[in-house]
Amino acid sequence: MEFTREIYWNVGHGATTLVPMYLLVIVAIAVVVKMFLQRREVYRQGLPLNRTDNLGERISGMLVNVLLQKKVTRVKMPGLFHGLFFWGFFLLLIGTTLIVLQADFTDLLFGYKFLKGTFYKLFSIILDFAGLISLVMLGALFIRRYFFRPEGLETKKDDAIMHGLMTFILLTGFVIEGTRMAVTELGTPVASWSPVGHLLAQSIAWMGEDTLRTLHKLTWWFHLLMVMGFIALIPFTKFRHILTTSANYLFADRGPKGQLRSLDLEDESSETFGATQVKELTWKDIFDADACTLCKRCQDRCPAWATDKPLSPMKVVNQIGEAAFTNSEANLIDLIGKDVLWSCTTCRACQEICPASIEHVSKIVDLRRSMVLMEGEFPGDEVMTAMEATEVNGNPLGIGYASRGDWAAELGIKTLAEDPEIDILYFVGCYGSFDKRNIAIAKSFVKLCQAAGVKVGILGKEEKCCGEPMRKMGNEYLYQSLAMENVELINGYGVKKIVTTCPHCYNTLQKDYRDLALAAEVETYTVYLEQLISSGKLKIRSEGLDCTYHDSCYLGRHNDVYDAPRALITAAGGTIREMKKSRSEGFCCSAGGGRIMAEEKIGERINIRRVNMAVDTGAGVLVSNCPFCLTMFEDGVKGAGVEDKLKPKDIAELLAERL
Amino acid sequence: MKILVCIKQVPDMESKFKVAAEGTWYDNQDLAWRMNEYDEYAVEQAVRLKEQVGDADLTVLSIGSDKVKETMKKALAMGCDRGAHIADDAAWNKEPFQVAGIIAEYARDKGFDVIFTGMQSQDRGSGQVGVLVAEMLELPSVSTIVDFGYEAGTIIAKRELEGGIKAKVKVQAPAVVTCQLGLNTPRYPTLPNIMKAKKKELLSIPVAELLKVNARMETANMFFPEKKGGGLVLEGEAGELADRLISILKDKTTVLK
Repeated sequence: MEFTREIYWNVGHGATTLVPMYLLVIVAIAVVVKMFLQRREVYRQGLPLNRTDNLGERISGMLVNVLLQKKVTRVKMPGLFHGLFFWGFFLLLIGTTLIVLQADFTDLLFGYKFLKGTFYKLFSIILDFAGLISLVMLGALFIRRYFFRPEGLETKKDDAIMHGLMTFILLTGFVIEGTRMAVTELGTPVASWSPVGHLLAQSIAWMGEDTLRTLHKLTWWFHLLMVMGFIALIPFTKFRHILTTSANYLFADRGPKGQLRSLDLEDESSETFGATQVKELTWKDIFDADACTLCKRCQDRCPAWATDKPLSPMKVVNQIGEAAFTNSEANLIDLIGKDVLWSCTTCRACQEICPASIEHVSKIVDLRRSMVLMEGEFPGDEVMTAMEATEVNGNPLGIGYASRGDWAAELGIKTLAEDPEIDILYFVGCYGSFDKRNIAIAKSFVKLCQAAGVKVGILGKEEKCCGEPMRKMGNEYLYQSLAMENVELINGYGVKKIVTTCPHCYNTLQKDYRDLALAAEVETYTVYLEQLISSGKLKIRSEGLDCTYHDSCYLGRHNDVYDAPRALITAAGGTIREMKKSRSEGFCCSAGGGRIMAEEKIGERINIRRVNMAVDTGAGVLVSNCPFCLTMFEDGVKGAGVEDKLKPKDIAELLAERL
Repeated sequence: MKILVCIKQVPDMESKFKVAAEGTWYDNQDLAWRMNEYDEYAVEQAVRLKEQVGDADLTVLSIGSDKVKETMKKALAMGCDRGAHIADDAAWNKEPFQVAGIIAEYARDKGFDVIFTGMQSQDRGSGQVGVLVAEMLELPSVSTIVDFGYEAGTIIAKRELEGGIKAKVKVQAPAVVTCQLGLNTPRYPTLPNIMKAKKKELLSIPVAELLKVNARMETANMFFPEKKGGGLVLEGEAGELADRLISILKDKTTVLK
């Protein structure tokens, strides 16, 4: 007996079937093409941005994310539901394609059939299960959305249409299979290769052949109509994401992670800087909104949202999209709200988790740029004061620039002006240089280097703020003037290697300064010290310590440095009790995005929330790797009233204590 | 309408000051320079007045070396129309009567309706220049203003008096006002205005052309205040702090005797 089945059984394979069927296919595809061409005009309102370079890598990146559902499945339960549903549906799509291929091409033109024998058995059983899994996963997603809806999951008409249509398509698919099998396969060995269809066939066999044939034919056409409806609905509903989210993987930012677009401030013809309208953002910023599925994973992880501030990264992205499609002249800053835009700490939690490769942070910074550069506006007078202080003294703390190197007076290190022959340049940063608490980090780092026999030099009073807080706050002009002076100075000394103890300096020198041709290699102290220890140059006493560790956003998510700091803590004899939110899911300390300069006036204090997470681990020490974090935690333990339970400490201090 | 605002470039007060070798002024080394705080209020108010009346020409004036042009550019970026730089490398050595004389000489035939100055400079702090300019030009002046209004040629200002009391003063323009903390919050220059400022007129006039008065005062000597004790910050555990405080009170004061 041949294991196969008759394609177009009962509906016929003549012109009366094929002509209307293919007409429907053409109509559905035409609708999709036409509507996306219209949408493309909307995307094109944005500024140009090249996102088709390195096409090979882009395509493989897209395939990995679409086919393996890599980003989607990072959030376990709903991710797995979606993944399994996708894989099921994708197999059904392949199955249908094979049928079309055989019936309307290879068989029709060459009389060649491949859906037979063992291949047919596999084909049949795989599709049968794919249909079942899709249906069950759809049910699970339905129950999640309509009965156990997680907080913040927006549910609209789109979702109902999508659930309804998908369920009907899958159910009618089984009815078609069941009725066909009831008539043609019951009692044959072929039937066992479609277990679900078999079960259905057995239970409806009583209807009799005539009824089954009528039911089959009607359902077949109904199923076809719904599938074509589904295709035609793609541009009009959230089904859109099938194409747009996939395309967004193709157009994704390929890094360096979090590097911002440099504005050309020399361009005399520019009259506006930053963005207030859709046309001042890039086309990708508009496209992002189309790729968003409102999964709210960004919102769930946003430290501002979690502490009752008005910022939802998801909402910002969609407001930009809505403006692009409905009112492109709209002032985005008024539309989104200033408090919303100022609330962002640029912690990148949104962007890191986004299953659609949306870029949230650069949009917010672009809008901030407009507020600062075009209006001279800041979240508060304290921020303006810090900006002016930086203009005058090169640091946001407003301390006289000439005392920048004073902290190092007793350590026996020289400035490059005094002695440019060095192993490494230590770029200290403002907090390490001026802030009483953070000077301890700078001193510890220098002592560690000296213990390892490394000759360290500093820039002393010649060093200026790296400009990171100013840039993230939108002050591109001040950032560029600071950066240019620093780059010129460092390049002038012919520095080969720079090490930083501040992740904000690190990220800025390592990525942003490349636009200004910084020549030296840049490394974070955690990686650098880890190398010194593992190569045996630096010897650290191992001394037990029960601690928890906070991944700073700029060492963690922005630079993927998660293991070196942990290795250092372990080398120092520390045992880490991880907080609930750690590594790429780490929770911001509140000081990023230039917020170190601003008062936190809305909602709960982010640093207190984070300190309480640390307290919950039961560890007595909160180890961090960033002067901004340390500042926030010193403040946070006081604010939370847990000074006696939790001591904030930097990794460098921990190590220096064990020399 | 013609408006003049006079500004001075001063060291940032967070700087580490040293007395210069000749002993009559501070040493310029390691200082960061900025616009005198009170002059920022003056510039802001002058720009606001210009914005209010619409048809106005606003000149910013500063006396000093080429370096002061940097500070003048900030005033131009804030909204002044043109700059008058009185080139004088020895400006630090001019006493208030001379400074006022230079400004008055510059302003005499220009027909300014309102002249704004800071109420004093943060470095010399004489508080005389604005009012002296008014005297020399035979104009009325209002000093230490914390509120400013202008309507049809009349200035209505609030002056700060002792103990937080304020006086409301009316004066007919032309007049000189000197600006005090609390008058306004100076704006942060926008980038297009910073770029425009680079192209605005900024003329240098040699000080010799304008200095027609003689000095009446001479700085004899400059020195840091003598150290007389000073504050003491105690740090440590609360119990230990209390003990130390008690011993200090016993040793150095009579309160416990």
